Amino acid sequence: MKHLKSRHWIFLGLFLVIGITMILNVKLNVRVSPYTQKMFDYIDSLPPGSILLISFDHEASSLPEIRPLALAVLRHAFKKDLRLIGVSLLSEGTVIGYRLMQKTAKEYHKVYGKDYVYLGFRPQYVAAILSMGESLKETYPQDYLGNKYDQLNLLKSVKNYNNIDAVISIADGSLTTHWIEYGHGRYGVKILGAVTAAMVTTYDPYLASGQMYAMTGGLRGAAEYEELLKISGGGARGMLAQSSAHLYVIFLIIVGNLSYFITKRKGRK
Amino acid sequence: MDIGTLIAGVLTLAILSFLYRDNPFYKFAESLLIGVSIGYILVITFNNTLMALLFEPLFKESDLWLIIPLLLGLLMWGRFHKKTAFLSRISIAVMIGSGAGVAIPAMLKERTLKQMSNTVVSLVNASGMPDFTGIIVILGVISYFYFSREQKGALGKIAKVGTYFLMIFFGTTFGYTVMSRMSTFIGRMEFLLSDFLKLIH
Repeated sequence: MKHLKSRHWIFLGLFLVIGITMILNVKLNVRVSPYTQKMFDYIDSLPPGSILLISFDHEASSLPEIRPLALAVLRHAFKKDLRLIGVSLLSEGTVIGYRLMQKTAKEYHKVYGKDYVYLGFRPQYVAAILSMGESLKETYPQDYLGNKYDQLNLLKSVKNYNNIDAVISIADGSLTTHWIEYGHGRYGVKILGAVTAAMVTTYDPYLASGQMYAMTGGLRGAAEYEELLKISGGGARGMLAQSSAHLYVIFLIIVGNLSYFITKRKGRK
Repeated sequence: MDIGTLIAGVLTLAILSFLYRDNPFYKFAESLLIGVSIGYILVITFNNTLMALLFEPLFKESDLWLIIPLLLGLLMWGRFHKKTAFLSRISIAVMIGSGAGVAIPAMLKERTLKQMSNTVVSLVNASGMPDFTGIIVILGVISYFYFSREQKGALGKIAKVGTYFLMIFFGTTFGYTVMSRMSTFIGRMEFLLSDFLKLIH
């Protein structure tokens, strides 16, 4: 115990708060925000067979936050019988994106090549976004598994963004900005974002200006999306833990401030 | 428990052990993460870029136009020797020139002009009346960044109002970032408690 410093106690407290609330496994009621509702409504309104391009623009480090969000969006798309084209503009997201698509496709008995394809990674994201706007086939002569573009049934009718209803960028950084600037700005394709909570304020101005069509963010966004889909997933499971962790942080801020003022007062005396 | 889960669980605990203090377990997990990440990126880039976009079309399909990017790529290696270092400047010039040519108009239009026009449009609400909240926020924030005059008197007061709005924005961003980091920790805790320790289902 002598070895423990104040920061250790803070970490231990957080560990216990999150651990205990997760073991309790109580589901909180989640109120759906207009952001998530708009995203859900758009995907829900698409007729079966519509094509969405899902771009996995994230790294492995943000997987705990991105995974529930990506799963919720993919489940919704497959549930609505939409056809999905997966790409990745960050190399670390490549295998993650493929596995997530594979997992959700299996749940809804979707067939590779017909209902979904995964094209994989392309470097230089600006060049890749612009190139896809001209020709998806030129950008990806073959898919992630090595199949030729023309061999994939789903891609036969897809030349560029004109044949895609929207792009969903699943991102943990500023890559969605490039989709907005080049994908939407130059080619007019609808951009939707499923982003980490840290990026929400970055994309808010684009949402307000209409350059980005809809967005959902963070674990909270995942919980809201799961609520709309009426399924239980990582988002909903994490809500009690997240709320408790936030209360714990607020408690620490209050204690920190009180101790600061008390110390200051003692110093004056 | 499969071997993958076991390794992931042990490595997660090794990384978390840094919260106590730096130790060999953390160092090992950190080095492993960096090594695996770099190796993975190298393989993905080689297979998806050099093989798929350059070598295969050039040598299998004889797409001779690809000799140009191949040469530009090779020139970059000139940097390894003093006498040939100047050659890499050609590739860098092409890269920066084309990059700037693509980025500047797009960024100017999408980040600056469209955002500015949306800001101005939003100053008048749906019923045609001025939106005073918007006007106060914009005047305040712009005044804060006006450095050509000393910020005192009326300008100082308006700039002060701008500071409060900036603080609200930074506070919101910080709050969201905390939320994001908590979510990451919750995700790892979920993995530890469910897949690794089987305490929750």
